[in-house]
Amino acid sequence: MRLLQYNEAINEALSEELARDEKVFLLGEGVGVSSLATTRGLVQKFGPDRVIDTPIAEAAITGCAIGAATMGYRPIADLMYSDFLYTAADDVLIRAPQWRFLHGGRQSLPIVFIAGSGGYRKVGPEHSHSPHSIMLHHPGLKVVVPSTPYDAKGLLKASIRDDNPVFYMFHKALIGMKEDIPEEEYIIPLGQAKVRREGTDVTVVAASYMNYLAIQAADKLKGEISVEVIDPRTLEPLDLDTILKSVIKTGRVVIVDEDTERCGFAGELMAQIMEHAFDELDAPIKRVCAANYPIPSGFLEKFVLPQPAQILAAIREVVK
Amino acid sequence: MKFSKKDLIKLYTNLVRARTFDMLCTRLLAEGKFVSFYHEGAWGDAAGVGTATFLRKDDILYPHHRAHGFPHMIGKGVDPKYYLAEHCGRATGCCSGVGTVHALFEEYGILGQSAILGAQFTVSVGWGLAAKKNGTGQVVVASFGDGTLARGTWHEGANVAVLWKLPIVYVLENNGIAQYVSLEKAYPLKDMASLAAGYGMPAVVVDGQDIVAVAEAVGEAVKRARQGKGPTFVECKTIRVTSHGYGSPHMVDGEQRDMNMVEELKKREPLSMYEKNLLKQGIITKEDIEEIAKAAKEEAAAAEKFAMESPIQEDASILDQYLYAE
Ligand SMILES: Cc1ncc(C[n+]2csc(CCOP(=O)(O)OP(=O)(O)O)c2C)c(N)n1
Ligand SMILES: [Mg+2]
Repeated sequence: MRLLQYNEAINEALSEELARDEKVFLLGEGVGVSSLATTRGLVQKFGPDRVIDTPIAEAAITGCAIGAATMGYRPIADLMYSDFLYTAADDVLIRAPQWRFLHGGRQSLPIVFIAGSGGYRKVGPEHSHSPHSIMLHHPGLKVVVPSTPYDAKGLLKASIRDDNPVFYMFHKALIGMKEDIPEEEYIIPLGQAKVRREGTDVTVVAASYMNYLAIQAADKLKGEISVEVIDPRTLEPLDLDTILKSVIKTGRVVIVDEDTERCGFAGELMAQIMEHAFDELDAPIKRVCAANYPIPSGFLEKFVLPQPAQILAAIREVVK
Repeated sequence: MKFSKKDLIKLYTNLVRARTFDMLCTRLLAEGKFVSFYHEGAWGDAAGVGTATFLRKDDILYPHHRAHGFPHMIGKGVDPKYYLAEHCGRATGCCSGVGTVHALFEEYGILGQSAILGAQFTVSVGWGLAAKKNGTGQVVVASFGDGTLARGTWHEGANVAVLWKLPIVYVLENNGIAQYVSLEKAYPLKDMASLAAGYGMPAVVVDGQDIVAVAEAVGEAVKRARQGKGPTFVECKTIRVTSHGYGSPHMVDGEQRDMNMVEELKKREPLSMYEKNLLKQGIITKEDIEEIAKAAKEEAAAAEKFAMESPIQEDASILDQYLYAE
């Protein structure tokens, strides 16, 4: 075991997979240096043919990934910030997810799109998005949102080995988080939620940085309310079974999502829980999401993105 | 193009002001008084000032992200204190503290900006079209870096701009580096101005450290645009001697930047080169220089005071107010 930071865990997963499979390669703007150090040092280990710095040309990055993937390579396309996926949205949201399907199910695209996402750094409306609901709206694309260093590593390795396009979004506000990581190899299969805190009064479902906030809330409420915190870890595939099992136990649910409330993942999950476990519910499900505004920069950010106090209030209210 | 003595002093004054604001911004970020980013621009600031200083007030300008466009906006005549306050998240900021790195000064032709690079190539087409419709000789100037020019939006915008003969001047500030990637790793030729030729757009390459050369080249291109002759491309060769953004690693192509080379680049510091020239020609005196520097420092200090004394933007009611027009 060693203590690794979230971005170091990502780096290690990339390094191990590049070493394991020569078909894996990485490309993106400044990956030789890397703004958040997720890919730093890899070019020294694997050379510029496998860790490729590109111009600021997102469509060239994502299109290249698609082309190379159809020829047996396993590209990892680094988009730096998830906000930039929109500059290559036809590749990321239309072409890659639908490619296999529209070609008669024969040609899979083993691509990982990787980018930092999320707010809480006050960097404003064009560098703070959490665009997972947009991704979920495009069947064919898997969506991975790790909340800890351990998960970041294991899930990234699974993503790279997956034969489908995967959008792997790490959260910028989690970069400094540290956790013990085993020396030996491990993989976390996509589609397995994790119960982070066991509890009996209420189920809180929260991924990525929201999971971190949810755990803090659960710990704060210890002795007052017994909170079960579930981390879906991947939103597609979604491990609904683990969530429903918890709902049956607690009968009460709060969903925390950093994305915009309207048409977001929280609303979708709410609907799925009601479809499958309506009779188990003792209270209406509550959600804590970003308010329906663009994410402002500066001091206004806190009025839009979910805040710890809102999570506490929602939990207290749902158990009333 | 001939510049009067007054013009030359104006260029000098604006460059001093831009430099003073760059130092102020860097300090405020270091002190935690800025809310989000700052990407320093010192030593690469002559291109922005030279580009903007002689534009008409109603000309449209898209500022480059480097130095957050302070050189361009100062050149254009904007009072920089509102943009400074914006960076500090203040209600008095030019975008009311909502954007922090975004600028809007309608009366000065600064009509908005995006932090997602490459918007200038296509948005400027809309400005060019509207300017042409207005029929008042307005010109659009879009500034950007070498990295930004790799975006596909350049091609879509350039084609349409030439096709429709729009009054646009594209000004490239080529500092040979884009965040952590050198130009050599991003473009196969030396002069990026060659990208204009494919669309039949005239292009010139100038020394971006020579503020007068920049002002001249952009001036010629603006004249051409005003006469209805269509877009021109101006490439200014400039430098970046700092890291990409304050606090980010000073690295390129996977390695530490060669500091000897950076020291070499620093010899082309545009402000002192221009100052020396003006002194030699007897256009300014040592006393003028001191006075200009003193005035710039006072302006910056007053702007800092204005920003720090302005209320922090924490009025949640503006969210609704700003989202949709009535
Ligand atoms: C579409 C997009 N991709 C990437 C970025 C991240 N980014 C911000 S500045 C920058 C470098 C810009 O380089 P250049 O245009 O040469 O300007 P310079 O910083 O050198 O002045 C990058 C990659 C972005 N803001 N937008
Ligand atoms: Mg550059």
